[in-house]
Amino acid sequence: MFTMEIDITNIILIIAFIIIVIYLIYDSYARKPRKRVQVVRELLVCTSCKFTVEKDFEPGDFIGMIKGKCPSCGSNLKVKAIYAVEKK
Amino acid sequence: MFLLLITGLNQKIQLKIWILDIRMKLNTIQNILEEDKAKVRAILRNLGVNVPDAILGRVIDFFTIEPVDVEPTDIIKRMDHLLRTTETSVRGIIEGALPSIGRYERSLIESSLSIISALNIVYKVIRHYLITGERENNFILIMQLEYLMPQIMRIVQTYHEALESFTQGRPVGDGAGPLVVYNILEKSEVKSRKVIDDTSIIEAHYKGRRLILVKAEGPGSNVGHPGAVISKIIDELKGGVDLVITIDAALKLEGEETGSIAEGVGAAIGDPGPEKIAIERATSKYSIPLRAMIIKMDLKEAITTMRKEIYEACERTLSYIDKILEENTPPNATVIIAGIGNTMGIPG
Ligand SMILES: [Zn+2]
Repeated sequence: MFTMEIDITNIILIIAFIIIVIYLIYDSYARKPRKRVQVVRELLVCTSCKFTVEKDFEPGDFIGMIKGKCPSCGSNLKVKAIYAVEKK
Repeated sequence: MFLLLITGLNQKIQLKIWILDIRMKLNTIQNILEEDKAKVRAILRNLGVNVPDAILGRVIDFFTIEPVDVEPTDIIKRMDHLLRTTETSVRGIIEGALPSIGRYERSLIESSLSIISALNIVYKVIRHYLITGERENNFILIMQLEYLMPQIMRIVQTYHEALESFTQGRPVGDGAGPLVVYNILEKSEVKSRKVIDDTSIIEAHYKGRRLILVKAEGPGSNVGHPGAVISKIIDELKGGVDLVITIDAALKLEGEETGSIAEGVGAAIGDPGPEKIAIERATSKYSIPLRAMIIKMDLKEAITTMRKEIYEACERTLSYIDKILEENTPPNATVIIAGIGNTMGIPG
């Protein structure tokens, strides 16, 4: 349909075009959110001393539940919080 | 190239590409929906239902028709009536199929079914627009749909993840309000407890003040009726309340930090209307100051397992509340503190 003359403007246009394409591809990759994996943990606090421990959540647990004994003083351990944290 | 432009063929090709893309995403939604349905079916079977589809089918398509709003007289009363009827009807369907089910399990099933119902509506509406757009070669409709799909897929994924939290009874981000109230409860001296309307009312002594704590009854999946209950308490005390504080999770704007706290004035509660207006009416009737605290998060964080940032924000909210109490009320004052939101996994 038309003849392409290889002159300086054509070369500049082609280079600009390639740069734009590369930038768009890079941009769409960079924006893709990384899949974040979360784990659910629970915070156990001793009812009489200051002992705390973080464990994995087990289905059916709820905040305020008595769960096990404190290893340092033997009192009850209570679930203080249940939350999700990102896995490292 | 020129030929394509004048015949409009390029538009047709574009339309076909978009339709193909939307159909692929629609299939993903369908797969998620089927997977979630299978999960709930399995739970129902474990609880002893032989034909889970009977419940599933009935609850999924359950609808509530909005009250007439061109004639707003007593619209709140009518809306409240419809919402409560919906609640008891769905509960009735589940209890009918599972007569011996406990309150806790029933609440989790109710919420799981409402998640599936929401997913089902998304699926049906997208399918409707896709079929309409395709049949009528509606370029604009398909284009809108194509550009909305990423957002819709994100919402679908959110609901999908929420189902996991709801079937296991983990606290969700929306439980921030009830969690703060529970933490106050743990630190104060409890005088009495009662439950009205699925809502716990706990009278307690804290920092020399008489607190009336209001939250949905836990640890099931439940939001209660805090508005109706607060208005009842205020009426019973004939307005003898010095301050009302509501604490709720609020949707953050994109760019705001999860777990940031803000204080303000008004009723922090996101119901369709009846509960919020009950609080506003009762407090304005007796001119009781109405303060609000919000904990910010996005939709996903609100309905999936509570993030650690939100838990930490709840701890910070506690010291904020202490400050509000000290600044605004004298010792021996009566203060109502209401934690608004779903109390799943949080007792009291
Ligand atoms: Zn201990």
